[in-house]
Amino acid sequence: MGERIVIVGAGPAGLRAGERLRERGFGGELIVVGEEPYRPYHRPGLIKPLLTGKMRPRDLRLPVLTDLDATWRYNTRATHLVPEEHVLHLPGGEEIRYDGLVIATGAQARHLPGAPRQDPRVHVMRTVADAVAVQKSLSRTRAGVAIIGGGFVAGELASAVRSLGRDATIIMRGSSMLRHVPGDDFGETVHALHEAHGVQVVTGAWVQHWVPQPDGIAMHLNTGQVVFAGCVVLAVGSVPAVSWLRGSGLILDDGIMCGPTCHAIGASDIVVAGDAARWPNLRFDTAPRRVEHWLNAVEMGRAAADNLLAGQESAKPYTPLPRFWTEQHGMRIQGAGTPALAKDTVLLTGPVAVGRRVTGYVTGGNLVGLIGWDTPPGMLKWTRELEKQTTKAMRLRLARRTPTRPAHDVTTRMPLAALNHEHPPAAYHEHPPAPTSHERRDPTPTFGELPPAPHGFPPPHEPPYRHHPAHPPAYDDDFPTTFDEIPPVFEELPPTFYELPPTR
Amino acid sequence: MTRYRLSVDNDRCRRYGICAAEAAQLFRLTQNGGLRYLRAVPSDAVPAAEAAVRSCPTLAIDLEER
Repeated sequence: MGERIVIVGAGPAGLRAGERLRERGFGGELIVVGEEPYRPYHRPGLIKPLLTGKMRPRDLRLPVLTDLDATWRYNTRATHLVPEEHVLHLPGGEEIRYDGLVIATGAQARHLPGAPRQDPRVHVMRTVADAVAVQKSLSRTRAGVAIIGGGFVAGELASAVRSLGRDATIIMRGSSMLRHVPGDDFGETVHALHEAHGVQVVTGAWVQHWVPQPDGIAMHLNTGQVVFAGCVVLAVGSVPAVSWLRGSGLILDDGIMCGPTCHAIGASDIVVAGDAARWPNLRFDTAPRRVEHWLNAVEMGRAAADNLLAGQESAKPYTPLPRFWTEQHGMRIQGAGTPALAKDTVLLTGPVAVGRRVTGYVTGGNLVGLIGWDTPPGMLKWTRELEKQTTKAMRLRLARRTPTRPAHDVTTRMPLAALNHEHPPAAYHEHPPAPTSHERRDPTPTFGELPPAPHGFPPPHEPPYRHHPAHPPAYDDDFPTTFDEIPPVFEELPPTFYELPPTR
Repeated sequence: MTRYRLSVDNDRCRRYGICAAEAAQLFRLTQNGGLRYLRAVPSDAVPAAEAAVRSCPTLAIDLEER
C-alpha cells in the first residue's frame, strides 16, 4: 500500500476503518476528515440517553481501541473528489493527494418538503447538534412534542418523550409503523405498544398546513385533525451524504455504488463504508443495497480497510449478517438478516404472548431474517443459526454460478469441492468423492426442526467481518466454569424484564 | 505483558447480548436474560473483547489495560 490513506468521514465507520488500517500494520500517513466539530460518537445514544439526560454528549464519544496516529481535520467538509488524479478537495482550494481513500460520510436527515425549517422549534434528529437543540426546545415549552415519521427514530423519540412525562404525537403517512418489516402484526404490535404508553399515533396522515404560533406550532393534517406541539421533530428517514461526489465519476444512486468488496465501482483505490455505501451483500443476493444500521458502520469500516489494503484482486467480499435493534418504551426489539426480503414468516420460538417471541422471515424455503421481542437469549441462538444457514446458502449459490471453472469459494478461498460432501476436511486433500444426488437437491427445511448443519464443513479461513472464538461453547450447558490459567471472577448483572401491560 | 480488564456499566447495559455473539468466551447471556462476563481477559481473547466493545449497542463495555 502507498504512503497516504485519507478517510473522509469521522463517524464510526471512519474511525473503525482507521483503527483496522493501523492494526494491519499500515505505517503510512493517515488523515481523517470530518465535517462535524466532534470526535466520532455513538449515534444511537443521541435519542433516549441524551434526551433523558442519562448521558451527556461527551459520554457518547466512541472508545478508541488502537492508536490511530492520524491527522484529524474536524469541522472540514470535503468539497469534491477527482478520482483519476487521486485528489480530495477541501474548502478554500486545499487539495490532498491520496494513495487510498475511505469514504465514510454517512447520511443526513431527510428534509420534509413544506416543513418550516427556519422555525427554531422544528428539528431533525441525526447529529449531536440536533439532539442538543431538541433538548433545548423541550425545555422551553410545556406543550407536547410532535414527531413526523413512523420508523425507528420516530418510535425511539416518542419513547424518550414519554419517559420524560411529556405528551407525544406520531404523525405518519403509512398505515403501520416500522413498515419495512413484512407482516401486518409486527406494525400493529408496535402501534399498540406506543398507544399503551400514551403516545397518540395518527396514521395515514401528513401535514397540509403549518401554522407557527408564538407558543407552538399548529399542524393541520389531511385528516382534518389539528395537532399542536411545542416542539416538532422530522424523522422521515435519511439520505446518503454524497452530493459532494457529484461530478467525480463515482456512481451515485441512493448512495455510492460499490462492488461486493466495498470498492467503489470504477475506482480501485477507493472503498466505501457505512450508511453511504450501496453494495451487493452476496450473503443474500447480488442486488446492491444500503444498510443503515449502526453495527454495519462498525463492521463495514473494518472490512473496507482490510480490502483497501488487500487490493481489489485479493479482497474478500464483505458479506455480513446485518444485526439491528431498537428500544421502544423499554421493549427491546432485535433483528438480524434481511426480514424485508421475506415472503413469509414462521414462528420460531416463544409463547403466544409477544414477549420472548422470535419470528423467522423466509423466502424460497430459506431463512433470511429474524425479529425478536425482548428475547436476547433467543436472538443470540437463532442469529447463530441464521448465520450458518445463510453462509451455506451463499456458498452453494456462488458455486452454482460458475460450474465450469475450477472453483474457489470467494469468501474463504477454500476449494469448493469441500462444500458438497459430508466427509471431514482431511478427506478433501486427496480425491474428494463426487457429490451425491442427495446433496445436489436444494434442502427445504421444515421449520420447528431445522436440518442439522453439515458436519465436516470447514470453518471460514478468516471470517470476513468478525472474530470467531475457536470453539464457541454451546448454550448454557457446557460453558466452562474454570479456565486453565486465569481463575474467573464472574460478575452477575441481574436481568431486566419487560412486560406489556394488559390490553384494555 | 499487559493484562486487560473488562467492566460493564450496569445502567447502560440492556443485555442485548451482542457482546456474547462477538466474544462468546468472555460474555454470556443467562437463560433468563442476565449477563455474565469475565473480568480478566485472556490475551488470546483481546481481539474478541475489542470487537465486543465496538459492537455494544449502548457503549456499556470498558476494556482497560492494567
